[in-house]
This record gives sequence, C-alpha cells and structure tokens, in this order.
Amino acid sequence: MIGVAKSLTRMSGLIAKELRDLVRRPGAILSLILGPLALMAVFGLGYDGTRKAYDTIVVLPTASQLSRDPKTYNDLRVPGVTVVQVTEDRAAAEARLGSREVRMVIVVPADAQARFMAGQQATVTCEWNEVDPIEDNIARVSTQMLLMELNTRVIQTAAAEGMRIANVQQPIPPDVVASPLKYDIKNEAPITPTMVGFFAPAVLALVLQHLGVTLTALSLVRERLSGAMDLFRVAPVRAWEVLIGKYVAYGFLSLAVAFVVTLLMTRLLAIPLLGSPERLATAVGFLTFASLGLGLLISLVADSERQAVQLAMIVLLVTVFFSGFVLPVDEFRPIVRPLSNVLPATYGIAIFDDVMLRGTLGDPLTFAGLLLLGVGLYIIDAFGLRLVMRRAR
Amino acid sequence: MQEHASAPIEMENVTRRFGDVVAVNDASLWVGAGTIVGLIGPSGSGKTTMVRMLTGTLAPTSGRVAVLGETPAHFRRETRERLGYMPQQFHLYPHLTTSENVAFCATLFGLFWWHRRKRVREVLELVQLTDARNRLAKDLSGGQQRRLSLACALVHEPDVLFVDEPTAGLDPLLRQTVWDEFGRLRDAGRTLFVTTQTVSDAQYCDGVAMLVKGTLVAVGEPAALKREVFGGELVDIRTEGPAPKAVVESVQGVRAVQQPAKDRLLVTTDDAGVVVPLITSALNTSGSRVITADKHEPTYDEVFVELVERTGAGEREEVAS
Repeated sequence: MIGVAKSLTRMSGLIAKELRDLVRRPGAILSLILGPLALMAVFGLGYDGTRKAYDTIVVLPTASQLSRDPKTYNDLRVPGVTVVQVTEDRAAAEARLGSREVRMVIVVPADAQARFMAGQQATVTCEWNEVDPIEDNIARVSTQMLLMELNTRVIQTAAAEGMRIANVQQPIPPDVVASPLKYDIKNEAPITPTMVGFFAPAVLALVLQHLGVTLTALSLVRERLSGAMDLFRVAPVRAWEVLIGKYVAYGFLSLAVAFVVTLLMTRLLAIPLLGSPERLATAVGFLTFASLGLGLLISLVADSERQAVQLAMIVLLVTVFFSGFVLPVDEFRPIVRPLSNVLPATYGIAIFDDVMLRGTLGDPLTFAGLLLLGVGLYIIDAFGLRLVMRRAR
Repeated sequence: MQEHASAPIEMENVTRRFGDVVAVNDASLWVGAGTIVGLIGPSGSGKTTMVRMLTGTLAPTSGRVAVLGETPAHFRRETRERLGYMPQQFHLYPHLTTSENVAFCATLFGLFWWHRRKRVREVLELVQLTDARNRLAKDLSGGQQRRLSLACALVHEPDVLFVDEPTAGLDPLLRQTVWDEFGRLRDAGRTLFVTTQTVSDAQYCDGVAMLVKGTLVAVGEPAALKREVFGGELVDIRTEGPAPKAVVESVQGVRAVQQPAKDRLLVTTDDAGVVVPLITSALNTSGSRVITADKHEPTYDEVFVELVERTGAGEREEVAS
C-alpha cells in the first residue's frame, strides 16, 4: 500500500515538474499552440477553394459557320474553361500560349460540319502548356467536356437541317436527337462542405499530432543531456513512472489545446460537427496518446535537441504526404502504406472526417488501429527508456 | 577504511575498463558508518567512475561492490530511498524555482507531501537558500546552484550520500560551509563519500583515498597517511653554512635525509622530539652551527605529490590546492 502511495507521489511529482517547466517557457507554448492555430486561421481565411478557369482561344477557319462570339462558347458553361478570344490566326494564338498569356488553344477544323454530314469524324486540336501533372489532367477533362458540348451542337445543327429537308410531320427536337439521355446527380454525403470545411478535420489531426510529437520530442533529450537522467538512475523511480508522468502532463496540455482548437473551428470557422462530440473526444484522446508516444520515441533516439527538432519536422513532412492529408492513402502503392500506418494522423484524419463531416461513429477498426498504435509506441518507449535508465552496464 | 563486515560501502578488487582504457584498477575500499571519506584525485583519475559504480549506474568489469549490503546493480527500491547523490554537473530544472526543484527530488524518493513541505523548508535553510526559494534555478549563481544540488541530495535524509565534486567552483567561505554541513551530517550518523580535486579537503575527512590514473595510491586516515607517506615525522633543519648530510644520516633514529638547499636538510625521524637534540648535537660537534630545527608539518599537496612520485603512478598530474 505504501509502495503504491510512493509510486503515485513520484508520478505526481513528475507531472507537476513537466507542467511547471512548460508553463515557465511561454515562448515554447506560444510557438507550439498559437503557431498551429495561426496556421489554421491563415489557411481558413486565405483559401477560397475556387479554381481559376483556363483562359482559352478558339481558332476558327475563315469558312467556318461556327460563332465568332466568345460569349457563345462561354454560354456552354464548360467547367474550367473561359473563352477569351475567337480568332482565325492560329500562329498568334499559339504564340500567346507559349508565353503563357492564355492556358489553352482550341483549333476547330474548317470542314467539321461537312465531314459530319459526310459521315466522317473531324479532329479538333486542343493545346495547352502545363508541366504540372494535376493541371495536365484537369486540362484533359475540360477538353473532353468541351468536345462533348461541341459535338452536341454539331449534332443539333445537323439534326435540324436533316428534319427540315425530310419535312418530318412530328419532328423530334434536335436537342433530343443530340442528347437522348440527360442526367440527374445526387451526392449521398450528408453535407458538401466548403474546401476549408473539408480540410479542417485533417488539419486538426495534423495539428494535434504535431503538437504531441513536438512537446515530447524534446523532453527526454533535455534530461539525458542535462544529466537529470543520472538522478533518475539513482533514485527509486522506474521507467514507466517517468513515462506516465510525461504522458499525463503533455496529454493534459494537448487535450486542452484540442478542446480550444475544436471550439474555434466549430464556432469561429463554422466547421460542421455532425457526429457525436464524445466520439470525437475519444478519437482526440487516442490520437494524442499515440502522438505523444511518437514524440517520446524521437526523444529516445535523438542525441541532441537539434536532432529531435529535425526528426519532428521530418515526421510532419511525412505526415503531410502519407497520412491522407493531401492525397488519399489508397492511391499509394502497398509497399509505402506501412509508412501511413505508423502515423497517428492517418487514423485521426479518417476518424475526424467520419465523425465531423459524415456524422458517423467512425470505423471501429480505425479506432482500434489508432489505439493499438498508441499502445505499441508506449511499449517501445517504455522498453527504450528502460534501456536508457538501465543502471549498471 | 579497514575491512569491516557492516561497512556501508565496500569495494573489493574492483576494476572498470572502457575498451582498452582502465578507468579504475583493482581498487579496494571499506567505508565505515558515520564517516566522511574523501576520494581525492586529479581530473580524469576515475573518481566519477567509482561513484557511478557505487550508485549502480555503472557495473564493474571485475571485483565486488556493495553499498548497504547490496550489489548496486540490484538495489531494492527501499535501498535506493536510503541513498543520496549529488552529481558533478548541475542537472536540475532551470525553469523550476529553487523550492520546486527540491520538492521534485523529494517526490522522486517518495516523500509524502506533509513530510515534503517540512523537509524542503529545512534543507533550504541548511544550505542557506531560503531567501532564494522562489527564484528560478537558471537565475541562481554557480555557487547557489551547487547548494541547490546539495539540498536535493539531502532532502530525503539519506543514510549514505555520494557527492561528486561538491566544492568545485565555490569560494573558500562557502567551501567551509559545505564541509561544516558534511561534518554535521556525519555527526548525525550519515556516511558520506565525497570526491574532490582539492587535496587540502582531506583535512575535513575521516578517511581519504588518493586516486591517480585509476589506481588507489593510498588509503587511510589523513594524519596517519602523512606519517605513512613520509615514513615518520619530518624535521626541517637550517644551518649556518653548508649542512653536512652524512653527519645527520649517522644519527640514531634518523630514517632519511633530503637536502633541498646547501644549508637546509629535511630529516625523516622516528620521533622528532627525541631525535632533534641528537641531530643538533652532532651538527655542532662537526662544526656546523644549527640556526633552526623545527618539526615540519607537510601539506596534503606534498603528501599527494610524494605519493605520485613514489608509486610511479604516471606523470605528475595537475591538482588544485
């Protein structure tokens, strides 16, 4: 009984020490807590989520019967394309594309309609000047959509002409001939958030992981370098007691930050929270637990404070790429996925998306995975710290 | 310093190697309860290695180490609670206040809060840091930080206290205060194992062990060590004109004669009180008039230098005096 009381005394001392040490370093608190909050605010206020349409020149041959008014084409409302000029001068249009004054040039052949009437395809040439593969893909999609609209126009014109010649009694409207089917769309998601709203849960997961990792990444390194570890080695304190002290102290701080950030997100930025707050709190707890473990692991392997900071930044970078923050985890080759699986934010992003944006309870397996990761990291940390504190070697 | 069944600190033929380097070589030492033992040696002589073996943070390569009857590598928690340790470097938390640092150390040793408050107050008073109790550790002077480390080592009232270089960087007044405190702890029945580079600190110890390049070159009580090192009592004789060394060597009771100057002899005798009149008489008979013949009390620095030279423990080391 006395042994348990002494153990609790030791852990309470360690917790109090960590909290006091943190509070006395306002600079660290400011950079760790206000930094991520400021980052979120800049992200939320600075990104409007609207992609700028491609300024496009349509090159029509002199003989073409198609409209020379850009408005005609813009009225087609092809997403991502704005026709700024219709010209006959292909070379001049391509020169403007080369100097990136415009982003797309569409060259319509002179015989488009005649070839159609003759039962042949005509080729429309679309040119763009993009090195970014994402922009290249967007240009391809926009081109396909534009061509669909142009095809429809050609068919409508031909159908109207054909019916006029045939003198059909009950004419079928040309637009029905051109597009016998139309579509109606429905997104089953409970909400369609703004870009900021969509990214907010991921940012929250990223911020919480980074906070947990950074807070703990420095803690043990400092003690190892200052010689405080010698005191731990001589004192009747065990590795798991030291770890519990750090987990509780930093966990308390991380959870407080998570509460404030979530409150600001939902109240100030109007980010939706469709699911249960309790479920979200559980996920935040698990994410914090795993993130602190990851930070402590860094603290155990780093041999200087500088290296600990570098490793924490590398973890942040890896998280941005591999956690599903930007690109879906499923799109990575299987060989790379284990990297995603050891990042607490990977699970956090998935759960936060489910709970906040879809209003579900979150996948139990993802919850289990996150908890398992946290427990695994705790065991590794406890083993590692025990080695560091190993008394006689 | 003699082998004793109940000695709180025991080292028997202890060697510690780091690769090819022998940090401590075949050291044997017994420290009795309620004594202060000073481990004296220059920087890099192996003092901290010995302390680390005694506190259980380092295992000996060979030999036996026991503290409070247990092997340090396998101390029970209860045994650890009876140990105090003040490392050489300041290791405490710069952003905690003086009293918070001491309270933290108290919690590590399992002191409950009602006992802790009282002990923190007492120990800060002891090391004269009461006025600085609310100051951050980083704002303390070097001497105050040493005292804070000492307070942390003492707060749980350990039975055996290991102190690594406690007086390094302290002014003479503070050094005296620290040694006075050690004396009070010893009088209260505590056992202190203190390392120091300052040879003159031997005067405060009940026993000293002199360590040179990992080898214990002498172990014993300070006064006895002086006699032992020089083989008897020393007499400093000054004469008018050149002193005839051979005349003095022939006097009964004279063990050895050194001649640091033409008109000066340092004579090692069995008993200075008996031999000095005989030497004076012999010199006068030989026609050499004696100006002074005084008993010479060698300093601990001289003892240390003599030991290093005699044992051939390597080149002379630089030692603070």
